[in-house]
Amino acid sequence: MQEIDFYRADSLDDLYRLLAETGGRVIAGGTDALVQMQRDAFPAAVVIDASRIADLRYIREDGDRIEIGALTTYADLLASSLVRRAAPSLIAAAETVGAPQTRARGTLGGNIANASPAGDTLPPLLALDASVTLSSARGVRVLPLGEVLCGSRQTCLEPGEIIASIAFRRLPDPSGSAFIKLSNRRGMSIAVVSVAAALALDAAGCIVEGRVALGAVAPTAVRSPAAESALAGEVPGAETFRRAARAALGDIAPIGDVRATAAYRREAAARLVIRALNGAWEHAGGRVGA
Amino acid sequence: MKPITVTLIVNGEPRTITTEPNKTLLYALRDDLGLYGAKDACGGEGECGACTVILDGEPVNSCLVLAGQADGCHVETIEGLAAGGQLHPLQRAFVETGAVQCGFCTPGAILAAKALLDRAPDPTDDQIREALSGNLCRCTGYTKMIAAVRRAAEEMSHVR
Amino acid sequence: MSADTFTVGKTEIRKDAWDKVTGAAAYVDDVALPGMAVGMVVRSPHHHARIARIDARAARDVPGVLAVITAADVPGSKTFGPLAQDRPALAVDEVRHLGEPVAIVVAESKTAARRGVKAVAVEYEPLPAVFDPTAALEPGAPQVHPGGNVVTRYDVAGGDVEAGFAQADIVLEHVFEVPRIAPGYMEPEASTAEWGADGTLTVWVSSQKPFEDRHQIASVLGLPQDAVRVRSAVIGGAFGGKEDSGLAILAALAAWAVKGTVRLVNNRHESFLAHPKRHPARLFYKLGAKRDGTLVALQATVHMDTGAYSSYGPAVGGLLTEMVPGAYRIPHVRVETLVVYTNSPFSGAMRGFGSPQAHFATESLIDMLAGELGMDPLELRRKNILRPGDRFFTGVPLDRTASSLPVILEHVAAARARLAAIPAPAGRVAGVGFALAVQSMGLGYRVPDDSTNRLEWAPDGTIRVYVGAPDLGQGLATAAEQIAAEALGIPYSDVRALAVDTALSPNGGVTCASRMTYVVGNSVMMAARQLIETLLAYAADKLSVPRAALAYRRGAVVLPSGETIPVAEFASRAADEEVPLRAEATFSFPYPEATTPKHLPVGMPHGMFVFGGQVARVEVDRDLGTVEVTNLVAIHDVGQVINRAGVEGQIEGGVATGIGYALYESVRLKDNGQWVDGFTEYLLPTAEDVPARIESVIVEVPEASGPYGVKGVGEITLVPTAPAITNAVCDATGVRVTAIPIVPEDVARAADPA
Repeated sequence: MQEIDFYRADSLDDLYRLLAETGGRVIAGGTDALVQMQRDAFPAAVVIDASRIADLRYIREDGDRIEIGALTTYADLLASSLVRRAAPSLIAAAETVGAPQTRARGTLGGNIANASPAGDTLPPLLALDASVTLSSARGVRVLPLGEVLCGSRQTCLEPGEIIASIAFRRLPDPSGSAFIKLSNRRGMSIAVVSVAAALALDAAGCIVEGRVALGAVAPTAVRSPAAESALAGEVPGAETFRRAARAALGDIAPIGDVRATAAYRREAAARLVIRALNGAWEHAGGRVGA
Repeated sequence: MKPITVTLIVNGEPRTITTEPNKTLLYALRDDLGLYGAKDACGGEGECGACTVILDGEPVNSCLVLAGQADGCHVETIEGLAAGGQLHPLQRAFVETGAVQCGFCTPGAILAAKALLDRAPDPTDDQIREALSGNLCRCTGYTKMIAAVRRAAEEMSHVR
Repeated sequence: MSADTFTVGKTEIRKDAWDKVTGAAAYVDDVALPGMAVGMVVRSPHHHARIARIDARAARDVPGVLAVITAADVPGSKTFGPLAQDRPALAVDEVRHLGEPVAIVVAESKTAARRGVKAVAVEYEPLPAVFDPTAALEPGAPQVHPGGNVVTRYDVAGGDVEAGFAQADIVLEHVFEVPRIAPGYMEPEASTAEWGADGTLTVWVSSQKPFEDRHQIASVLGLPQDAVRVRSAVIGGAFGGKEDSGLAILAALAAWAVKGTVRLVNNRHESFLAHPKRHPARLFYKLGAKRDGTLVALQATVHMDTGAYSSYGPAVGGLLTEMVPGAYRIPHVRVETLVVYTNSPFSGAMRGFGSPQAHFATESLIDMLAGELGMDPLELRRKNILRPGDRFFTGVPLDRTASSLPVILEHVAAARARLAAIPAPAGRVAGVGFALAVQSMGLGYRVPDDSTNRLEWAPDGTIRVYVGAPDLGQGLATAAEQIAAEALGIPYSDVRALAVDTALSPNGGVTCASRMTYVVGNSVMMAARQLIETLLAYAADKLSVPRAALAYRRGAVVLPSGETIPVAEFASRAADEEVPLRAEATFSFPYPEATTPKHLPVGMPHGMFVFGGQVARVEVDRDLGTVEVTNLVAIHDVGQVINRAGVEGQIEGGVATGIGYALYESVRLKDNGQWVDGFTEYLLPTAEDVPARIESVIVEVPEASGPYGVKGVGEITLVPTAPAITNAVCDATGVRVTAIPIVPEDVARAADPA
């Protein structure tokens, strides 16, 4: 176990002060950070516990905009009927994170800050066009999630900056979303490949906007602009989804590791894109045909 | 490392310790408080659930909580489950169903199950499996553990 | 439950369960002794290297560090091992696997110990390493040990395989691969040692073999055996992996070095790297049969990777060799098994002990043969299964216990039909497969296999059972208590087994080899008969009546008048006189002189067998290749059920382990040169990964020589699982998997232009 010093921040001001004074790093639920410490890999000598800052733990609705405080746990999300209605793909992802013990502690902000290529909530948040509010003693900035994730386990957070909240808008109806995670075991699993898809349809049932995001197939979770172009304006169905899936392959760069080969991930990603799009279409009230 | 002083409310009793800042709740319970029911089976990486305790009402891997983070929190451990000398129905059910073999995973599994029954008193088998999905066991194959939780749930629903 | 017994056959509740559900059960890491120091091990970061220098000066200067011990300090034998003494307690001048112990740091706290470990400076000169047994056999391969890379070679034949193949209408040849498996007990290895002022050592262990641990510890410490006392703590699972004295030896060295009390507890990574695994193997099989399905010849060459040290490798190799023909009558068989050193983490005893490896290959190939012949695999089994009176290729005859095989097959047929009727859900294909298994009991001919156990009447008339072999969690103590209770006609609640303590217990043998209930049970029954004799002789003396005038019934002495006197009266009196009423008996695993072949290597043959079969239903996602086991029916002949929940527990746990073998588990080398060494990457089945329906069908074909007819069930329950699953996958998809764990990529339908 790594040797670190411990401070607790009871408020945001406390947190900024401690960050400035100690050069330490924030932890929240600790489900990633403590594992790093076990492996002597925590990137600071000081831990600042932010988990008690109640101001950062909330779920709010403002019209079609949903805002979630960074310290909201997966268990909080799963218990929220608002999130279930507004972001079922985020719920589907939260259900697969670790085990109940992990979900009681792990936070949405932590999942983003950890920036694992396989982070479960990241594809759904990307597909929701989520923005992230970063805050520090100097003020606040808001960035699209995609710009916060800048590399494998790297965020663009500046020193003294924390993730304060995540926000997204519901897609206008008729719309639907889906999330699929492929893993090597059912319980307590890390994604081999994950896909989040969303479709907004027009009155005739054509795709107004499609969103496709993938996890565990690139250094960060990614949207697929190519897949989304292939969807825009098209009639949903097998042929369209197949083309989108093929296009998505151009936006990913999977690696081989202990969980799967790169070739398998590519193959699986294409198949999962199709399934996720079918799922989104079905969720939108469409009919899934051959 | 600068020592920290932490007060944990363990099974209803406040316990104050001064310990190393990198001490996890798991080892604070074990080494500082002499409560050995919570176990380290995976090297403190949150992969096995043998360290499960109930923290402010939720099941957590105590190996992934720094002791400092649990200051002022309520911690339920296996040692506190039997009330007034009477075993909790889950403890009795685990014994009577044959769900205990080597027993190393047992305290964690019982607490994970208790956390489930505290919020979902009439769970389906799938819900029981999910509640136990973070508790590894190599001896039992889980079958009797699930039956034990079902049995305890039934017993507890009759009492209500 | 048999009408003739009153506790045997009944699901009695195990007495240690109460402490386990309250957190009171004392595993090694739960006992803090006064003045106890912490030991931590410095381990090799290299797979293979010469040690140029160990500099412990900075480590010794770390505040709180009490001692640093290296091989130079070891007072007795530098090496140890259950078969070959090829493993250094602490590396001498070479390390042969990643994680090998190089030094022990003893400190006042965990923090000081960690700092001490970091401060030990070791200079290594890396050497070339080899990680594959077949590669290790090549000329020019890195030599792991001076004598070459072959530890043991078996070449055992029955009949004439060349002649056999000549008679065959069809010959199949395939190569099968099975992975390195971690036993996966939840309690990592742990040991506490206390150096007494009188120069004696007490060592608490989590171990399958306290008496052998004592022997090994004494040898490395250069002490007489009776200066070493080994005590069994509550054990958090073992599965073969704790037939290993390694950590207890290190704890003993640490305690000796500081002349105090030291506890060593491995973390999970250390357990993965430095404690016994299941042998991975490559099995080259050639099977010949007639067109009508009669098996005529089987030839196998097996390369087993025993890793850096041999541990029980030679014994596993011997059992694997015997198990190759499985449950079948094959007139011509030849098996060549090579147990090979590599620089991998070493392998040793693990539940099944060579049988899971052999059965994966055999049960797969038999199904493949059925496919080639266009025959129902069940029909092919029926044609060829062993019958009472048949002989194994080793020459060992099968007695009437083999009559359970056709019974098992009928259950298999029924289960298969039932499972095959379940329709596959949309988007998936379903398949059903099965496999048979035979598992030997016992350590093998000419391996000493005695179990001594003792019964004693406590003053209150209850029975103390000094079981000489530890309960690993599987319920041995309960079985011994039930058998003692049955034999003495007293309530199960009045019988209590004690933990193994080499100062107090007789030597019951090593808890392993599917034979504990059998040998301990037999020994307990013998001791019970003697105990009754001892009691009656004592009572006769006290009552001044002839011995023949007295009888014993259900915890009481019966006088000629019919009046009864409870045993407690005599037991308390005997205790006062300091001559407690006790009896000790030794049971030796039988190898009948007349029928045991004597031409084979030591440890072969085994002479007693248990049989089983399992049927698996799988659902496969054809595009992704993912496999889910939805149903598993396990049919096992246990001779006689002593405790039903106990038997089911062995079945359910074994099946889960077998599922892990087929689908998830592998300790392998990653691209970054590190081993899979934690539960993040080594995937044990969770509660969501085992079938919702594991059905146990328990068959009882009594073993005449077993206590109440009992046989052993501890290992066989994981043997047929993996091949049943891969056979089911083939049934579902047509894809034949010849290497486990199944990789979804290999099962996935070939790429559809997306």
